[in-house]
Amino acid sequence: MLYNDHFGIYVDVAMPVEDKSKSLLPFLSSPKLLTDESEAEFQSGLQSLLSELDNPSPLAVALVSQLNECLWWIRRHTVDKELLLHEAMARLLSREGSNWMGSGNSALSVALEHYLNGSADKDQADLIEEALTDGNLTLSDLRARAFKDAARHIKMVDDLIHRQHQTMRHLQRSIDSIDYKSRLIKRMDLELAALESKQSVKGALTLDDQSS
Amino acid sequence: MTTNPRRNLVNQSNALKSTGPRSVAGKRASSQNSRKHGLSCAPDFESSIEYRALVELIAEEGFSAFVCADIASGLLNYRRVMDAYYDTYTRPEPVDEFLRDMNVKASIPIFSELLSPSGSKHQDVKEMANFFADMQRQERRKGGPISRRSADSHKLIRYQRNGIARLSRAIRQG
Repeated sequence: MLYNDHFGIYVDVAMPVEDKSKSLLPFLSSPKLLTDESEAEFQSGLQSLLSELDNPSPLAVALVSQLNECLWWIRRHTVDKELLLHEAMARLLSREGSNWMGSGNSALSVALEHYLNGSADKDQADLIEEALTDGNLTLSDLRARAFKDAARHIKMVDDLIHRQHQTMRHLQRSIDSIDYKSRLIKRMDLELAALESKQSVKGALTLDDQSS
Repeated sequence: MTTNPRRNLVNQSNALKSTGPRSVAGKRASSQNSRKHGLSCAPDFESSIEYRALVELIAEEGFSAFVCADIASGLLNYRRVMDAYYDTYTRPEPVDEFLRDMNVKASIPIFSELLSPSGSKHQDVKEMANFFADMQRQERRKGGPISRRSADSHKLIRYQRNGIARLSRAIRQG
């Protein structure tokens, strides 16, 4: 039995494959989640991917857990794209308006975030509407301009999402390769067993001939 | 340009001591020199307990000892990259809100007041205002926390690409 101090898991080399796969999970996919993310959701995604495995070998399980992490990263980065737009909208508003000076840029960002979520209180809504009026802007104008302003960072996030897709493709190919290899080994074992049985039958027949 | 003998003297004596960058941009760039993710150095996985456990498990899937070692180190290397990616994503460079939001023009009287005990002239105040304006421009160019974390994470793309390619190659060639 090997104990991993850092990850706090036991890996027993004499365990059945399924148990080893389970013991490997925290080792390779100790979920590093953000404060507002649900671990239950992360684990349920992982379990649904694992249930699709025909042959849950430890390596396949390790790769599937990496695949699940990629999906999680894509989700995070997709949220980031929207947040980048909000950030740019707040920046533009603060540049255009004059009423933000008293409350500061951060207060304006928070107010805009709540305003866009529909959870702004009266003061926050007033602040945003006043800033929009000062800049002679509508919300859709502001969004369009923010998109242009944040284009460089949005492109970066798109690159990050694209990278996760590429990684998933690599992982998928690796899983297929392991699956193919295990099928091939099984098939060769069967063929070998068939050959051995044929050989033993032939041997028995030869012995019979010799004795007769 | 007006010359100030005292200032020239101070500049010359400082220049003798200085071996580092002089421009604001250079100083800001060099201030990030110590910030490392450690992904460029070659790690030693072979002595770790995880590596040995992985090699033993992978060996049971019919891979040769050499391929097992390759896959195990590939997997650990990929994990190392993804852990650094998470750390970079969750700990971006903090936004200096004071600098970003300050009104430099409106602060000129304060600069002049701050510099007056040393008998400073209009030129010194202007230089100080320019210095802050430059710092502010750079701070604003970096954007908010989301822009910063995207830009920082983007720098790790090549490590991810190399990490997954190495792992995938090891598995498929096995």
